[in-house]
Amino acid sequence: MIDRKHQRTFSQPRAGALSWRAALLAGAVVLPSWFIAIYAQPGLGRVAAALLFVLGVVICGALGGLGAALAAATAAFLLYNFYLVEPVLSFEISTGRDVIPLLLFSLCAVVAGVLAARLKDRARAADDSYRQLSSLLEISRSLQSAVRVPDIASALDDHLSGSFDTLATLFLVRDGTFDAAVNGPSDDIGLQLVRKAADSEDSPREEGPYTVYRLDSAAGFEGAILFGHGLSRPPDKAFMSALANLIALAVERAALSESNAERRAQARTEELKTALISSVSHDFRTPLTAISASASSLIEFRDRLDPAAAERLLRGIVSECDRLNRYTSNLLEMSRLEAGQSLARRQTLGVADTMSAIVQRVRPRASHRRIVRRMSDEDLLVNVDAALFDLVLVNVLDNAIIYSDDGTSIHLDVGRDGDFCVICVSDEGQGIPPDDLERVFTRFYRVARPRPSPRGSGLGLAIAKGFTEAAGGRIGAASPGPGGRGTVITIMLPLATESSPA
Amino acid sequence: MTALHILVVDDEPSLVDVLQPVLETAGYRITVAQDGRSAQAAIEAIEFDLILLDLGLPDIDGKSLLQRVRLDQDVPVIVISARHQEAEKIAALDEGADDYVNKPFEIGELMARMRAAIRRHSLSRAEASTYRAGGLAIDFPTRRVTLSGETVKLSPKEYDLLQTLARRAGQVVTHKRLLAAGWGAEATDTQYLRVYIGLLRQKIEQDPSDPCLLLTEPGVGYRLIGTG
Repeated sequence: MIDRKHQRTFSQPRAGALSWRAALLAGAVVLPSWFIAIYAQPGLGRVAAALLFVLGVVICGALGGLGAALAAATAAFLLYNFYLVEPVLSFEISTGRDVIPLLLFSLCAVVAGVLAARLKDRARAADDSYRQLSSLLEISRSLQSAVRVPDIASALDDHLSGSFDTLATLFLVRDGTFDAAVNGPSDDIGLQLVRKAADSEDSPREEGPYTVYRLDSAAGFEGAILFGHGLSRPPDKAFMSALANLIALAVERAALSESNAERRAQARTEELKTALISSVSHDFRTPLTAISASASSLIEFRDRLDPAAAERLLRGIVSECDRLNRYTSNLLEMSRLEAGQSLARRQTLGVADTMSAIVQRVRPRASHRRIVRRMSDEDLLVNVDAALFDLVLVNVLDNAIIYSDDGTSIHLDVGRDGDFCVICVSDEGQGIPPDDLERVFTRFYRVARPRPSPRGSGLGLAIAKGFTEAAGGRIGAASPGPGGRGTVITIMLPLATESSPA
Repeated sequence: MTALHILVVDDEPSLVDVLQPVLETAGYRITVAQDGRSAQAAIEAIEFDLILLDLGLPDIDGKSLLQRVRLDQDVPVIVISARHQEAEKIAALDEGADDYVNKPFEIGELMARMRAAIRRHSLSRAEASTYRAGGLAIDFPTRRVTLSGETVKLSPKEYDLLQTLARRAGQVVTHKRLLAAGWGAEATDTQYLRVYIGLLRQKIEQDPSDPCLLLTEPGVGYRLIGTG
């Protein structure tokens, strides 16, 4: 960075440089004219010799501009007077008759030179403004795709350093202070100039090789752009001011798009909250209704209900409470996952051990379904959030139970594939229609079932996906399974790097 | 007396598992339909004494099922709905459902609604000529209203509203039906209704600010307490 800063400092442009070049050019053109005039004069006559001098002056003007033309005209006047006007080899003029041609010659030389020089200057100015215009166009084109501040700065850098001997540094107000964006600043003079620009409304402000323009937007003072000029002529004011306006617009747009992105993120959070709340009101009501109806029935019909029915109602209450509890955990974990909080709670778990505990808990809900476990001989370790791992597998196993008939089998296979632990849960149930295989992992998405089935929260698989991805793994659904029916959910989690026992 | 036959239309197994044994214990005969299609099939085959209809069926909306029921049957229908289904619930009531219960409910509340709906139906067949509850008595043929034996003077509109409510005593009557009874089918401004209900309460309630005869069902309508 430091090197780069050094590269970007400037030497003061030297004011005399231009006229030295003009003088050299004038000499280079006029001297040959002089030689030709001296040696060819006897044959050509004085008129032709004079015309040769004028030609030299015109060439000087055309090549070197006004300075060179005037220098050449002066040299030509002196040489003409010295060599061609009687008495030759002296600056004296012998007869009045010789004065008029000399003056006329000088006038012609000066006028021709000036005209040529002006033509040259015009051409150069036209060329400059063409270059400036086209680079403005180019910059504005690349600014259109620059939505972040660093992009703006680099667009500025690319175009300016390519076609001008000028560098522009962007200073933006962030949290009340300046920070030089991407292209690092020049020196203290530049920085001071920027500070001055921030304090007063005057824009532009010039000092030494620098010009500073304020960047103002509807929201107020956004920053400043500092132009540092190199050896040659600086780009003109109109160009710099147009560029500053473009940059101000781009900076404003970047700020807007940033706040827009923030708003979108906020809107997404809001959306999730709304969805969670509507899920609460929707999914909590059914178990609550069952519980309320059962409990009030037990109170109301205490004596008339037969013991088996009363027992069923009580069991129903317990299982609905369990369902409510799972909904609650799902909602909680979903919002935790969305907020990216799950990474903090990672720990190393033995998969086989954890799975058998989970299966034990799920089994009461499985009634006559067989849960067949096939575990790898290796003790596979994963580094995950234990509560989420538990919840995800309970969700997946619950789905397998809910969407399959009593008496069927549910297979739980745990194995290793390279650096991954692969957990497969397959059932022999209704399966998932092919169109829904991707969407089942979307929040609150539920597969439309032809026959009524208990409706889940629509969160289970969304949480499973969020969990596996946060853990650096993958999850997929396949249907039908190997037996031509049912669903296979495959969860791949990266194996924990073996920590040697201490 | 044969047991009253009730059709429970509900797609939530957990709720059906409660309602079926409990209602059977209470002496009803229960048929369960888990979706709209099987409900329609059951309605066409059997004449039920009451239908319990859970809104939000997977295959058909409650309103179109009601329309189907109302085509050829005058069976009382009680809608079971969740709070977020308010609009659907009101539509169902306007479409001819007799009453509703909100989830979650207690079984006693549900059975009281069921009894009221069944009673009203058997009474309306016999064209009941009186209403009597909580000290309030209405003699429909003479349009005489008494409160604890004292005659209550009502304006014709007040009487129309009270009669509409009393004919469906114990059940909710929607704003739309009450407006139709008092002002004609195109009336929509519930402001009138509120004013007249207020006037009625002044005349029949002990404490009009804390009514115990003419109850408000927020957002849906009004309910006159049931007889007996």
